[in-house]
This record gives sequence, structure tokens and C-alpha cells, in this order.
Amino acid sequence: MSETGNGNLIVTKAVTKTYHDNGVPVEAVRGIDLTIAKGEFTAIVGPSGSGKTTFLNVISGLDSVTSGEVWLAGRKLSDMSGRELSDFRRDHIGFIFQAYNLIPVLTVEENVEYIMLLQEVPKDERHRRINEILKELGIDKYTNRLPTKLSGGQQQRVAVARAMVSRPSLILADEPTANLDSKTGAELLDMMRDLNEKSGMTFLFSTHDQKIMERARRLVTLEDGVIQSDERRE
Amino acid sequence: MWLQIKLAIRNIFRNKRRTFIAGFAIGIGLAALIFTDALVIGMEYNMIASATESFMGEGQIHRKGFRDSYDVEETIVDPEDIIRRLGQEPMVAHFTSRVLSFAMITSPANVSSVTMVGIDPETERHLSQIDDAMIKGDYFAGDNMRDIVIGSKLAEILEVDIGSRVVLTVAQAHTGDLAQEMFRVSGIYHFNIREMDLAMAFVRLPKAQQMLNLDHGIHEIAIMFKTETFGRGKSDPFWQRYSQNGNVAVPWTVLMPMLAKSIEVSQFATFLVGVILFGVVALGIVNTLFMSMHERMFEFGVLRAVGTPAMAMGRLIMFEAGALAMLSIVLGAILGLIVTYIVMLTGINYTGIEFAGVTFRKLLYPVLTFKQFVIYPAVVFVFTLLVALYPAAYAARLSPAKAMRRSF
Repeated sequence: MSETGNGNLIVTKAVTKTYHDNGVPVEAVRGIDLTIAKGEFTAIVGPSGSGKTTFLNVISGLDSVTSGEVWLAGRKLSDMSGRELSDFRRDHIGFIFQAYNLIPVLTVEENVEYIMLLQEVPKDERHRRINEILKELGIDKYTNRLPTKLSGGQQQRVAVARAMVSRPSLILADEPTANLDSKTGAELLDMMRDLNEKSGMTFLFSTHDQKIMERARRLVTLEDGVIQSDERRE
Repeated sequence: MWLQIKLAIRNIFRNKRRTFIAGFAIGIGLAALIFTDALVIGMEYNMIASATESFMGEGQIHRKGFRDSYDVEETIVDPEDIIRRLGQEPMVAHFTSRVLSFAMITSPANVSSVTMVGIDPETERHLSQIDDAMIKGDYFAGDNMRDIVIGSKLAEILEVDIGSRVVLTVAQAHTGDLAQEMFRVSGIYHFNIREMDLAMAFVRLPKAQQMLNLDHGIHEIAIMFKTETFGRGKSDPFWQRYSQNGNVAVPWTVLMPMLAKSIEVSQFATFLVGVILFGVVALGIVNTLFMSMHERMFEFGVLRAVGTPAMAMGRLIMFEAGALAMLSIVLGAILGLIVTYIVMLTGINYTGIEFAGVTFRKLLYPVLTFKQFVIYPAVVFVFTLLVALYPAAYAARLSPAKAMRRSF
């Protein structure tokens, strides 16, 4: 049965995650119920240690839940095998990391192409999509450069391109502007919000960044692993 | 797949210095193995040549029991037939007939016990190197039946020189009567092998047969084969064909068991060196791969997060190990070739040194073979992939969340 049939992309039910830190159990996420609809532009905010990272890990299937359920794009993650989860992430989730985390030995084009190669997208289609997204993000002139030859802002744009080019249902971004200056960060966010509006992809961020909070259409605040507030803006 | 191969090759050159040092370390292991093997093969050839080419030959035929008793009556059965058949054997290059007996040699100054060897100077020339080792006089020039050729040490003890008279005393076959003949020293050789230089005296075959009352009987047929390796095989039907009617045919490995054993030991030592070197290489590879993996742990997490299958992660590490192995093989083969080639030009001087009953007579030269540059590198490659299975399995089992613990 699908829990995300009514236009919902993510549904979490009483999700808890307990870590053991040197043998001491730490409840990072405590009974979170959250529903995120397709096309939302949502920020999860909270102080360090509030459980943002852990929550994003379990939503994306990078980590398992201790109890509760996570449904994503109509599938219950805990019912999937490791290989199914891996394929599911490849096809349904685009990741943007704080430190860009592009593969340094691959060029911009090859970084963006990587996931499509895993998806076995035909060559012509891969190149068409790469050209399209790089042009849209204004980095088409850096196609053959290695990431180390790009500025932080340019690298993060490549990371966005990599996350979006496989046309996932969900873009998960961890502190995407943390390593950028405020002007570049603001530009990146405007661009991402623009992509969200055009493509209808769902964006979910974890952040401390006030600029992201201001631009988010929905702000979920976590504290001590529990949702403190869930604010929608228009 | 191609992307992974491309990624692997680029990854190993991310830290060029470390890759080069690791590749060089593995390469030194391969080079050491190539050099050791070349040296051991060179030593084997040298020892076998020193043993077989000096006098013994690569195989011998005797009457059964003769080698144990040296009884002069124990002559080869039907030697004419054997000589005829040997002449038709395709693998036989040369052979010669000999008569052997304990003898007493006397000069005006001294007396010494020797082995009198009756030889056919023409056929003996192909079997032994007496003619090459002559330092004084001639090697049976002309047809004087009273010519005798002796070693330098014996000449020294007897205080004789070219032209000096000596008397040989032997016990005749069947009767045991003593027979004495006077000879004139026509040649003195120096083999640098104590036993040959001190305790052998060569005379013409008919004279020896006459002295020993053997008629046309002979004690030994020494054989050289067209390929040296033939003499190593004890199981070839050749040996059975000539071990009939009371005769026995044996290769040099039976005649010189110490030498054969020492060659086996050398081969085992090379194997041991290989195992130790590969063990060191294995630890080097695993260490290098793990260092490289730990530096890229977050990146591995990212690759897994974006959907790279576990098997593909393992494959990436295997490709990296393969690329490292290829680099190491190229470095090792070049280094091994250079070092071995230099020693091939200069040689190693062990002449005069005795080992396993054999005295080295020539410079020792390493021998390069096909196996050293094909089999050993292939073994290094396969071995590298085998030891890389451990880090590859580690990479495949990586949980993306744990790998990316530094961030979300």
C-alpha cells in the first residue's frame, strides 16, 4: 500500500533513530511524523545536534530507522534490500553536499554524467541532458574542467547539476551554502528555487543559513530530535 | 565499466608520489625475483656445465655395479652394439668410450695413486675439455701409444715436465697380475679442479685395454646430448633402452646426486624468496589501498549515496589494484632487466670455488628467460588482485551513512 498516494512524496511515521556513542545510547531522532508533498521547497532547521543530519539520513535510506516507518515515492524504505535501496536512491534522490563533494578526478561533464551512466541512459540522451543542465546553470563553458579548477560557487552549481540531471523526485541538500560567500549562496538559492518552480522537483534542505530559511516555503524546526515547529509560507 | 576503469586509473595518480613509491616497492620485489631467478638459472647452467663438460658428460653407460666397485673386469656388455645404436640416436650429440682403473704412477722423484683413464682422443675431445685445459705440451698429438697426459698438481708432486718418463702400474683383469708400462709425459693440463689436476692420468684407449688385459672391453661410455635439459630427465625411455643385458645408463643427476639436490634446493630457495617477496608486496598493496581508501572515505560515501552499487565499489578498488599492479610490473620489469643485464655484461667471478661437489670453471652469468617477464609479472598481477579482494570487500560493505559521518 502506498502512503504517498495523495501527492505526498515523503511520509515519516513515528521515526526514531538511536545511536550508540561509545556504548552510550543517543536518541538522535525521537518519533518524528512528517509529510512532504511533491514539489515542496522545505528547509529543516535547528541547532547543531538537533537531529537534522540523522533525519535526512533516514529519509534518504542512507541509514536505517530504529523504529517507525519512512515512505518515499510510494515505497517503504525498510522493506527494501541494500541493492534496492541503492537503485532507489540513484533513481529518486539527488544529493547536494556541503563541501560539494564532486569526484575530483572526473571533469565537470563526467561528474554530471556519472549517475546517468549508472542508470544506463543512452549516450545521446546523456549528452543532451548534460548540455541542457550545464547551460541552464551557467557553467557550460567549464565542461572539460576538473572541479579543482573551479570556484566554490561553480563547484556547487556542478553539484546541483549532478543532483538534478538524473531527474529525481527529491533533491536533498545538506547545508548547500555553508561553504559559499553570502552573494554566491544567495544566487545559488535563487537558482535552486527557480529550478524547483520550473521542474516541480521536491527540495529538502538541512541548514543553519538564514538566507535559506528566508527563501524556504516551508520551515521545519527540529530540536533534540523532535519537531518544534512546522511553518508554511507563501 | 569503462568509467570505473577511467576512475581507477585517475585515482591511482591522485597522489603521484605515494603511487610511485608503492609501485616502486612492488616493482623492486618483482625485480628482485627476476634477478634472483636469473642468477639461480645462471648458477645451475654454470654448475651443470662445469660438472658435465669438464669430463663426466651428461649421461654415462656402465656395466651394472661398476660405479660401486670400480672392478676392472666389469666391462660393458656388447659395447659394439651400444656404440652402433648410440650413433643412431637423434638426441645424442657425441659419445666416447673409456677404460678406467686405479693405478700407481711413479716418477724418479715420487709416487702417487691415480685413476688411469684410457680414452679415444678424437671422440673424447667432444666430451671433455682436457684439450682446452692444456697448459704444457700437446693433447695426444700423433699416434704414440706411450703418450700420457696428466694434471698440473700431479706433475708438481711427481716433479715431472713434458718429456719426462713415468711408470704406470695397474692390476690386470681376471688374474689380478700387476702390469707396468712406461710412458712419456706429452701434455699437462690445469682444470682448476683439484681431483682432476691431482688424481687422473690419461692414456690412449688401446694401450689401457692392453695393460688391463681387456681385449676390446670398455668400462664407460660418456654421452653429450643435443639439449642439456635431456640429461636431467631420469624417466626418459632412452635410459631404459640402454639399461639392459647387465648394463646401466644414467643421467648426470644420478651420477652427481649432490649437484642435482643442490639445484633442487636452489629452485626451492627461489620459490621461498618469491613467497617472502610476494608477502611483503601483499602487505604493501593492502596498506596502499587502505590509505588511499581512508583518505577518500567521504567520497566513497557520496558514490554509494548517489546509487553506486556495492559490487561496483568493490570493482573500483579491484581496478585500482590492477592499475597499481600494471604500473609496478612495468617498473619492476624495467628495473629487473637493467640490473640483470648489467650483471650479464660483467659476470660474477666464482671460478675455483667449489659448491655441491662442483668447482666453478667459468664466470657466472645470470640467464634471462621468458618466464621472468611473463609468468612472474602475471603472478604479481593475479596476486595483487587476490590481496586487493580484502580492501575491495571492505569498500563494497561500506555503509554510506558511516562513510559520510562527517556530514549528513
